[in-house]
Amino acid sequence: MTQLLLFNVTNGLIIGAFYVLMALGLSLILNLSNVINFAHGGFLVIGGYIAYTITPYVGFWGALLIAPPITALIGLAVERTLIRPLYGRDPLYSLLLTFGLAFIIEDGTRFIWGAQGKPVTVPAFLAKPISYDFFFITGYRLFMVATVVFAVALLFVLLRYTRLGMRIRAGTLDLETVSALGINVRILRSLNFAVGIFLAGLSGVLAAGQLGLEPTMGTGLLMPSFIAIIVGGVGSLTGTLLGGLLIGVASGLTAMYFPAASEAIMYVLMAVVLLVRPRGLLGEEGMMT
Amino acid sequence: MKNPIVSLVSDRRALLKGAAAIGALQIASPFVVPVRAADNIKMGMVDPLTGVYAAPAGNEVMGAKLAVDQINAKGGILGRQVELLVEDSANDVGTGVQKARKLIERDNVNFIIGDVNSGIAAAIAQVTAEKKVLHVVSGGHTDTITGKDCHWNVYRVCNTTRMEANSVSDLLYNKYGKKWHFITPDYAFGHTLYDACAANLKKRGGTVTGNELTPLGTTDFSAYLIKARAAQPDVLLLLVQGSDMINCLKQIVQFGLDKQIHVAGTQQELESLAGLPPEARIGIWMFEWYWKQPGVPHVAEFVAEIRKRNGGQVPTARHWFGYTSAMTFALVANQQKSLDAIKLAQALDDFELPPDVKLQPNKVYYRKGDHQLMTSAFIGEALNKGKDDPEDLFRVDSVVPGDKTAPPVADTGCTIKWPA
Repeated sequence: MTQLLLFNVTNGLIIGAFYVLMALGLSLILNLSNVINFAHGGFLVIGGYIAYTITPYVGFWGALLIAPPITALIGLAVERTLIRPLYGRDPLYSLLLTFGLAFIIEDGTRFIWGAQGKPVTVPAFLAKPISYDFFFITGYRLFMVATVVFAVALLFVLLRYTRLGMRIRAGTLDLETVSALGINVRILRSLNFAVGIFLAGLSGVLAAGQLGLEPTMGTGLLMPSFIAIIVGGVGSLTGTLLGGLLIGVASGLTAMYFPAASEAIMYVLMAVVLLVRPRGLLGEEGMMT
Repeated sequence: MKNPIVSLVSDRRALLKGAAAIGALQIASPFVVPVRAADNIKMGMVDPLTGVYAAPAGNEVMGAKLAVDQINAKGGILGRQVELLVEDSANDVGTGVQKARKLIERDNVNFIIGDVNSGIAAAIAQVTAEKKVLHVVSGGHTDTITGKDCHWNVYRVCNTTRMEANSVSDLLYNKYGKKWHFITPDYAFGHTLYDACAANLKKRGGTVTGNELTPLGTTDFSAYLIKARAAQPDVLLLLVQGSDMINCLKQIVQFGLDKQIHVAGTQQELESLAGLPPEARIGIWMFEWYWKQPGVPHVAEFVAEIRKRNGGQVPTARHWFGYTSAMTFALVANQQKSLDAIKLAQALDDFELPPDVKLQPNKVYYRKGDHQLMTSAFIGEALNKGKDDPEDLFRVDSVVPGDKTAPPVADTGCTIKWPA
């Protein structure tokens, strides 16, 4: 029983790590631009399908390097043409836009690549469990966690030690003052959006290796990411990190005792956090950021 | 700075406007609106063209379109051309019912086909019964549709969940062992399929080591698989379908569980096998129809026709479901020279499908007592790679007639009540 418990906690952390990658991208965009990006799952799908398309030419590793930046470029184009005109308006506008965009991306993917799922094969040496006992820890899942840790570390370095990161953090706190200081807020928002979508693209490539690649795959991964943000505290990237891991573990443990509620537990956790601490675990009171 | 989530929730008016706009999308125009002539016969089709069942639904629609083209080429129904109006149920019961009502009340369709999702198919059946419209359920498998909730106007092409369970239970028990663990989708289809499999297992003296009810659209099955392995079953039975089947099988193989426990299931589909990497195409299953049937009349022509419309890809069971559903209306209406729903429904009792529609070796007919099509089960094993054709991903070992897998009418719970 203890072993099973340990297995599920470890497994939950692995699942949670993936939610973290998605949620950090969402969180970045939400914090700076006030855009609740419902199309984030769509960008994940785009990343996965781009990887699927280029894998025959560049291999899995090549796709892992190339697909996320291409997805980020697509995200940049979307931000420039569709989202930018809505900055400063009620968040409902951008929410509705990205909600519609999610449907367009899903149907567009279906139109281009077909409704039928596509098989993505990962390198053989990764597609094996590390041991008989820890059968659920495969080389690929370890690689996913390592990639997430690397990406998160890079993101924190970017935000803390670079000029761009400093501006993003400052903009998150008070965008008007940042603008008044002569910083081009438009470019700042675009770059921030691109970084967020890059993380979605990276999640897409990683997900494609583990799951079936199909147009709806983003939907199931989007809600846990939103919940991770709310549980962790809107505005706090560390909170998002904590939220993602928490819901992963909660979901894994519930699957052990009451499988039918493994999805519902995330919402229960969110409700409890909102009741007890409305700002989220690490969110600051009275501020979005 | 203003919190967008808080501001969104507090701005009730804006939120309601948004919800209304999203709601309006649900009842927008049908996907296929061909040029309509006033005296055309109209077939309405409701299927989840978006969502997790989009691939099988799209294939059912393609099969129905082929049937309509062939019907029209042969003079239509009662000398009138047939048009197919397709609506997206979006894999949502409410939307499916709304679309069925729209097809019947606004478009005045003569017949209804649908849905892939059992829950939606059952809900639509209530509507068609109320509106007295002849309805063929193309791909929703849950027992109750031709069981305790059967209707005089509702016939079904695909197998019931009990038929699926009966087709493979003996084989799995004898070949793999008597301790079974289930991964079951948590909705109508999964529940009845599990009940049927568990009942068969217990009847043979076996035990269920566990049943993992998984939400539809589950992406990560690892927690369920950890639990399943700990239970040490002989067989891990996957009752999930669509993308859930793909995700689950892929993770099983990556975890190496297929080397420790036999992995199998009941219903398997070509759509799922095609979406899997070769190493994950494993296990004993039943197909409801298979495209490779050497020597069976008309199958090769059907395969060639679908290939023309499907980017060179072969038909799946879903193509055949859609095709057979649409053909059923034309066959019975032309035979009876009538469009009267009651008259046609009565004529469909024990109605046998001709060779160019049944496309399989055994006798295929709609059973009188419960309106279930007695269609064959194609039992066999998934193949990593096709021998002669890359799409030949299943080896059929036996083709069992429907009346051998279906329980007697008396056991289905169906009592047909005809309108006065």
